[in-house]
Amino acid sequence: MGGRFKPLFRLGILMAMTFSVILSGCGGGKDNSADNAGSATGQTATDNGGSSSDGKVEPFNVSVFIGEAGQQPTPDNKIYKKIKEETGATFNFEFLAGDINQKLGVMIAGSDYPDLMTGNTKLTAAGAYIPLEDLIEKYAPNLKKHYEAYWNMMKDPNDGHIYILPNYGVFNGKLNSSWYAGPAFWVQKDVLAEAGYPKVRTLDEYFDLIAKYKAKHPTIDGSPTIGFEILNYDWRNWGLFNPPQHLIGHPNDGGVVVNNGAAEIFADKDYAKQYYQKLNQMNEQGLIDKETFVQNYDQYLAKLSSGTVLGMFDQHWNFQNAENSLITQKKFNRTYVGLPIVYDESTKDYYRDRAPLNLNNGFGISVNAKDPVKIIKLLDTLITEDWQKTFTWGIEGEDYIVNDQGRFMRTQEQRDKQSDGTWKLANKADALFGNLPKIEGSFSDGNSTDAAAQPEEYKAGLNDYDKKFLEAYGFNSYVDFFSEPPENPIYYPAWSIDLVEGSEAKVANTKLNDLSTKYLPKAILANPSDFDSVWNEYTSQIHKVDVKAYEDKINEQIKWRIDNWSK
Amino acid sequence: MSMENHQLSPQQAAGVTISKSMRSSRIEPVLFNTFNAIFMIILVIVTLYPFLNTIVVSLNAGNDTIRGGIYLWPRQWTLQNYKAVFASGTIYDAFWISVARTVLSTVLNIFLTTMLSYTLSRKEYVFRKPITVIFVLTMYFSAGLIPGYFLIKDLHLLNSFWVYIFPSMISAFNMIVIRTYIGTIPDSLVESAKIDGAGDFKIFLRIIFPLCTPVLATIALFVAVGAWNSWFDAFLYTSSRQELSTLQYELMKLLSSSMNSNSNPNVAAGAGMTQESAVSMVTPLSIRAAVTIVASVPILVVYPFLQKYFVVGLNVGSVKE
Amino acid sequence: MAVTVTKKKAVRKPEKKRTLTWAVLKSQQQLIWMSVPLTLYIILFAYVPVWGWTMAFQNYKPARSFSQQDWVGFKQFKFLFTDDDFIRVLRNTIGMSFINLVLGFVTAIVLALLLNEIRKVVWKRTVQTISYLPHFLSWVIVTGIVATSLASDGIINDILMKLHLIKEPILWLSEGKYFWGIVGASHVWKEVGWNTIIYLAAMASIDPALYEAAEMDGASRYRKMLHVTLPGIKSTIVILLIMSIGHILDAGFEVQYLLGNGLVVDWAETIDIFVLKYGIAQGNYSLATAGGIFKTVVSVALLLVANWTAKRLGEERLL
Repeated sequence: MGGRFKPLFRLGILMAMTFSVILSGCGGGKDNSADNAGSATGQTATDNGGSSSDGKVEPFNVSVFIGEAGQQPTPDNKIYKKIKEETGATFNFEFLAGDINQKLGVMIAGSDYPDLMTGNTKLTAAGAYIPLEDLIEKYAPNLKKHYEAYWNMMKDPNDGHIYILPNYGVFNGKLNSSWYAGPAFWVQKDVLAEAGYPKVRTLDEYFDLIAKYKAKHPTIDGSPTIGFEILNYDWRNWGLFNPPQHLIGHPNDGGVVVNNGAAEIFADKDYAKQYYQKLNQMNEQGLIDKETFVQNYDQYLAKLSSGTVLGMFDQHWNFQNAENSLITQKKFNRTYVGLPIVYDESTKDYYRDRAPLNLNNGFGISVNAKDPVKIIKLLDTLITEDWQKTFTWGIEGEDYIVNDQGRFMRTQEQRDKQSDGTWKLANKADALFGNLPKIEGSFSDGNSTDAAAQPEEYKAGLNDYDKKFLEAYGFNSYVDFFSEPPENPIYYPAWSIDLVEGSEAKVANTKLNDLSTKYLPKAILANPSDFDSVWNEYTSQIHKVDVKAYEDKINEQIKWRIDNWSK
Repeated sequence: MSMENHQLSPQQAAGVTISKSMRSSRIEPVLFNTFNAIFMIILVIVTLYPFLNTIVVSLNAGNDTIRGGIYLWPRQWTLQNYKAVFASGTIYDAFWISVARTVLSTVLNIFLTTMLSYTLSRKEYVFRKPITVIFVLTMYFSAGLIPGYFLIKDLHLLNSFWVYIFPSMISAFNMIVIRTYIGTIPDSLVESAKIDGAGDFKIFLRIIFPLCTPVLATIALFVAVGAWNSWFDAFLYTSSRQELSTLQYELMKLLSSSMNSNSNPNVAAGAGMTQESAVSMVTPLSIRAAVTIVASVPILVVYPFLQKYFVVGLNVGSVKE
Repeated sequence: MAVTVTKKKAVRKPEKKRTLTWAVLKSQQQLIWMSVPLTLYIILFAYVPVWGWTMAFQNYKPARSFSQQDWVGFKQFKFLFTDDDFIRVLRNTIGMSFINLVLGFVTAIVLALLLNEIRKVVWKRTVQTISYLPHFLSWVIVTGIVATSLASDGIINDILMKLHLIKEPILWLSEGKYFWGIVGASHVWKEVGWNTIIYLAAMASIDPALYEAAEMDGASRYRKMLHVTLPGIKSTIVILLIMSIGHILDAGFEVQYLLGNGLVVDWAETIDIFVLKYGIAQGNYSLATAGGIFKTVVSVALLLVANWTAKRLGEERLL
């Protein structure tokens, strides 16, 4: 029997080893942080806004909670190193993977907050952030200037304080835009090319084009041609839900259409029915993919990247990977153009909008922060143009070059690196910058804040097929297919309204989504003679939901915005 | 997989008819073995495929995988997905944390759970019933996220390595499985040891524990796999201390961040181009495959190692010794 | 058969009623030291936090202290039980759980028996190791492969068409009537190998003498399987079955969520999905807790019934 104890003995040894690993691991961790502090103290500054007056930067550490997944930058990341050298700040990032609702629940219950946290309405409601107005007034002149025009919009609807510094939506100078990320009816370039580059305006024209092309080319590269795809998987539901509002010339307001400051849901309206009835007819003609409602996101992307799908309603960024794949396969004629389709010629399209202020996103300082002044001063430093250039373009000479006209350009090699995840961990500060206040549009020297939007950069990267395609239309970029967006309505956009956790409004919203998910596919796939009965069942189910609570909450907030945001 | 079910029933049926009609015939074992072998081959194919496919996807270029149609051989070989997984240095430390928690949890679980099971297998033990009930019920309720968090906080286990170990030292399920197993060991062994004057602890350690090898191998596997795969405790309790992060949680962060960069309009807008150069990117699909392989291979090797303990007659043999 | 039954009977001696006296405690002090501290441990980690169940009767807000919470009585339970969808999600949960339970048990036991019949050790271990591989894949990956296989150009439709069993591809995931079966089969595929492990371990405790005796009686292989191996693992089967019956409301949410779509939603939504959607996702921790309490009550009731039934049938039991 003694022999049987040998494995146990071995396990004992292993256990002892484990303990020593853990202990040394913990000790090591502490040593490291001490080291960091020590080395930072010894450094003298090339002062670029460091907080102490005698020219030395005081080292300090900021703990940061990022409410979404991200990757730790490498320890020797060049941008963070520069920040540390010039401002003394080091960062301790905590990224989230898993369900944010669960994590926030326990963070709030235990009041366990780090210094800096990304915006979240749950945290705001729990009083986790400190008001920033006074701090900005006193210590942050750059931020004050940056947000001046947006000041009222940043205030919390409940108590009027500013808690979060929005990360996107503050514009400066000319906004160069060459890439449209938003919603549209997309169509394969070859469909337009073959039809002789027509201007397509209405829904009927759009489907006619697709039908003709499909009739002429029943297969593409040997696989059956698919006329139209509708993705409705998990939270990616806009392909099914959102088109009606755009078809009547409204911008994306989420689940409602707003007329003269009054919001109402559109799911049960006649103009919604018109769209789904059209889809029903198109399905009868075999234009819609039979599998469209059972496919998952991966299957959807697979179909798009095979080049056999002629059209779909989607947001561009959602299928960007499929388009990249088509480009790799050199199937440029199978990539897509976004079209601002409406019901009739007289309606002006309103798909493309002016990016609104990204409320409830960006950083807020937590009530547990030991030294809020230091943090706001740091943020104030990082909004200056030099730092912003460092974040977007990188280090001059290494990541971009300046040509004789003072324009920023990248070599092909530098451009390639920008899409290399491994390289970015060591050379970009995306985790931080993604949430920092930032200048968008142009710098004071006229260069674009976003490298991809720099016109020269865009042209340099354009392939021959696209050059020819754009020439045929006389456009500079694919953004020109859309009307120039008008000034946003004051309240815009309604989708950013916080419905408040657990409220009747939020429950109603969830129910409405459930009903649409269930009934719209049924209606579209129904025999045309049954369409009306399915539609009536759908609308009668909608009327059982507390729609009023949902609309009231939105209208109350729209009114609040109009009262408070008007300049 | 429904294929598998179709295969299963004819197989069973075959077994039945054969044994009835050709009992004690010589052909029977041959037929049985043939059917069994065919069944096993189909099983191997069906269960090997998903894992093999994952490996293949992990070795195929992300932008190509997206087209679909990758089954048993990569179309465009690449190690890029693995490079992306190993790019962040954090996973090396996390690997060792995972190893430490797995080994420690397994050892503690095995010892404590078996000890408890032994006491609850003793019919004469006065607290047998109440203690059994107390443990069994824990399988059917959970206090919920927030009260659990408060407990961990009050015990000062937040941001401590021990939060991986202490809350899960005993599992009621494992306890029951071991108890059931102990029930099959002849009682006479314990009785005679008692007559020889051995105490319960000594009996447990010297007689029961060694006799339980097959079931302990099973439980060790369950606990080790559970500890290795768990990420929720890292997510909830230690996420603000990077140096305590586990392999699974690091890989999860990696995976979600790759999905994130494809679902965040702002980020995507910046990256969006019609240029030919924007093509070398890895995609969530391919990262997921590489992550799965990196996360599971280290623990997969445990089972083959433990298999030698699943041998018929192991415990009875040692009893007679 | 006879051999094993007598063996079982011999093991289970009638329980003596013991009264709690100092003498008894003293004689059992080692047993007490070996179990009571562990019991206190489990009470601390599992039972103490149950104060949190009070949340189910509040409109719990994490930012407030206990005394600041609003008490709302049975409001959360009312929301849960009176929702139009509740009966439907309950039906789906029980339906899918039941299918999973039956399929899971039968396939794992049959596979364990068949594996046990393989004589070549290397081959046996290889099959075991391979069959447990899918357990290590996440549901995202497994459902991805399931969806691809079930697509109109997927392998399942391919095979059925080649065998001329169907004329045109079936959209498996668009029909509610197939959904439970698909979920059940996916579970079998992913877990069957893993689930056999416990039975294989149980088989290790069977006395080889029983096989020898059966062989002397001229028992065929099939009879040995049925009359020696199966009874040998019966106690394990019964115990696992009782424990699983208590989990009948845990049909999970991942598979259903990942494979479900608008067309089958009436058959795909489970209690867990419902509670997630209206509980945690809405920041309503109270509803999540109420859902948990409901499940616990049902579980414990089912567990007691199953245990009692086993007792009546003279089988091994849990409590």
